Amino acid sequence: MTAHALSLRGLTKRYQGTVAIDDLTLDVAAGEFLTLLGPSGSGKTTVLMAIAGFVQPTSGDILLDGRPITRLPPEAREFGVVFQGYALFPHMTVAENVAYPLRVRRVPPAERATRVRETLELVQLGHLADRRPAQLSGGQQQRVALARALVFRPNLLLLDEPLSALDKSLRTELQIELKRLHGRIGTTFVNVTHDQEEAITMSDRIAIMRGGRLMQMGSPAELFERPGSRFVAGFLGRSNFLNARVTATGNAVTLDCLGVPLHQARAPGWSPVVGDAAMLALRPNKIMVLAEGEDAPNVVSGRITTALYAGTVMQLVVETPIHPALEVSLAIRGAEGLPAEGDSLRLGWGLNAAVPVAPDAAA
Amino acid sequence: MKRVDWTTLPFRVLGWMVLVFLAAPMLVVFPVSVTPNRWISLPSGGISFSHYAAVFGSPDWLSAIGQSVVIATATMVVAVAIGTATAITAWRMAGHWIIPALRVLVLLPLIVPTVVSALGMYRVWVDFGIFDSWAGIIIAHTILATPFVFLTVSASLTNTDRRIEQASRTLGAGAFRTAWAVLVPAARPGILAGAVFAFITSWDEIVVTMFVTARHIFTLPRMIFEEIHDNLDPAVAAVSAMMMLVTVAVAAVLLWRDLRGTPAASEKP
Repeated sequence: MTAHALSLRGLTKRYQGTVAIDDLTLDVAAGEFLTLLGPSGSGKTTVLMAIAGFVQPTSGDILLDGRPITRLPPEAREFGVVFQGYALFPHMTVAENVAYPLRVRRVPPAERATRVRETLELVQLGHLADRRPAQLSGGQQQRVALARALVFRPNLLLLDEPLSALDKSLRTELQIELKRLHGRIGTTFVNVTHDQEEAITMSDRIAIMRGGRLMQMGSPAELFERPGSRFVAGFLGRSNFLNARVTATGNAVTLDCLGVPLHQARAPGWSPVVGDAAMLALRPNKIMVLAEGEDAPNVVSGRITTALYAGTVMQLVVETPIHPALEVSLAIRGAEGLPAEGDSLRLGWGLNAAVPVAPDAAA
Repeated sequence: MKRVDWTTLPFRVLGWMVLVFLAAPMLVVFPVSVTPNRWISLPSGGISFSHYAAVFGSPDWLSAIGQSVVIATATMVVAVAIGTATAITAWRMAGHWIIPALRVLVLLPLIVPTVVSALGMYRVWVDFGIFDSWAGIIIAHTILATPFVFLTVSASLTNTDRRIEQASRTLGAGAFRTAWAVLVPAARPGILAGAVFAFITSWDEIVVTMFVTARHIFTLPRMIFEEIHDNLDPAVAAVSAMMMLVTVAVAAVLLWRDLRGTPAASEKP
């Protein structure tokens, strides 16, 4: 199956006065698994509906392999869509649901039956072909929707919150299955979700959206390790945000954070000037608890105000001079000597632990 | 031994009494229809089916029955087509400012007193040259029956996931194919119920019929009305009994097929 590339060029959608999509430009490579991730109201579903052909953009273009498809009706785009809630046809059996796109395309009955069977095998539902959607579990319905969207070999597969209606364990299972399916069939996938875990585990790349705009796009690791803005750092995983001022620039940058000197390695795309304000995002898992006499490039002392035991980690909230409630997550290695509320401790982190982020002009 | 539940007994007795009270006037036609007398009365001294025989031997009664069947069937077909199409359109365009206005317009024949509609139709039908014609009576009955179809189909669509329409479009079906292959089946229970209502609306319509027909079109209800007016022949009771049986049979067949066609939701694996 040949995969196709999708491009959005300055895509904008306005509804009387409000902007749902604001000048969005992005490219999805052929065969890629791209996730649009954002909180509700970020415009991610509107983008997906524009790609599917249900929302006519106010301006901008949608290109498939470089050809504009902006004005094509949904039925002419040949995009498979897995809808939120699956939108299965309740009066048809599983096999009839999956056969529907082939029937519409006048595929001869013999070939139709073969392809329906193959596609149902692909999603492991061959044995349920004669059931009605109402007789299936949520996970099974999701797979029927997937089979129906893939059986006609679409140019692109669009997924609108495909796992949001399922419970947690099933969700994790289907995440892995979707990822595997993507690898097997090689079609370009565009997924929409508000679930960061789902985005991180399934996607080749993630586009983070907010208020109709693209905030940052990159591989899950890139976005996690090098968030460009406070919003991205806070939305993808948890972060402590430190307000500081640059006091010296050399090999490492020195900053002053409420009287405490911090040291930070230079980062690409960061050109600190002495006297400028800077914001550092520091992940809770990058902070270490220092033993007696141990040193680190950055050291602060503090007192634990909250200690939560979470099995593999301890979630600590520490009152420090640089932040009144610094979150620290500490890997648990043994049951002995666990920190407790009220304990005083020294915390340290390396030169590369924190990431300078833009402090979000458009908050 | 089963114990009597004294607290709910009065309510159950009352419930049955209300049912009997509602059904009694209708059920009385059955004994009257088999009276051996030549006037409308309860049977005394045996029963007789002579009035049924009289109905089937009378060209006037047979013609009226035939006309009513044709008119009610035509009304049902046209009203189902228009009512379903309108309901699907209204469902599709939900949220558009024009939809509340459209709903009022479609339901107007239910809101306006029938005699007012009848008077209006009489005036206009004469001008259009369809007074006392097949077209005239079928159009008149369709106007009265369409709101029922619109209501029942709309009710069926209320619980239909809007995304099934979008799903059908992305799978390659155009707007018409989607309406036919996905939305009409989704609205099936409403369409069937609407068809029953439409048929019955026409089958026992009398007010509008009196205004827009004269000598040429003579439906069964009009025949009954005129017969009762002119002479007290128990044939009227025989016809009424048959009308009731036909109506109940039509409704029962359609509802039974509908119930059988829907798999029970409790059949989950």
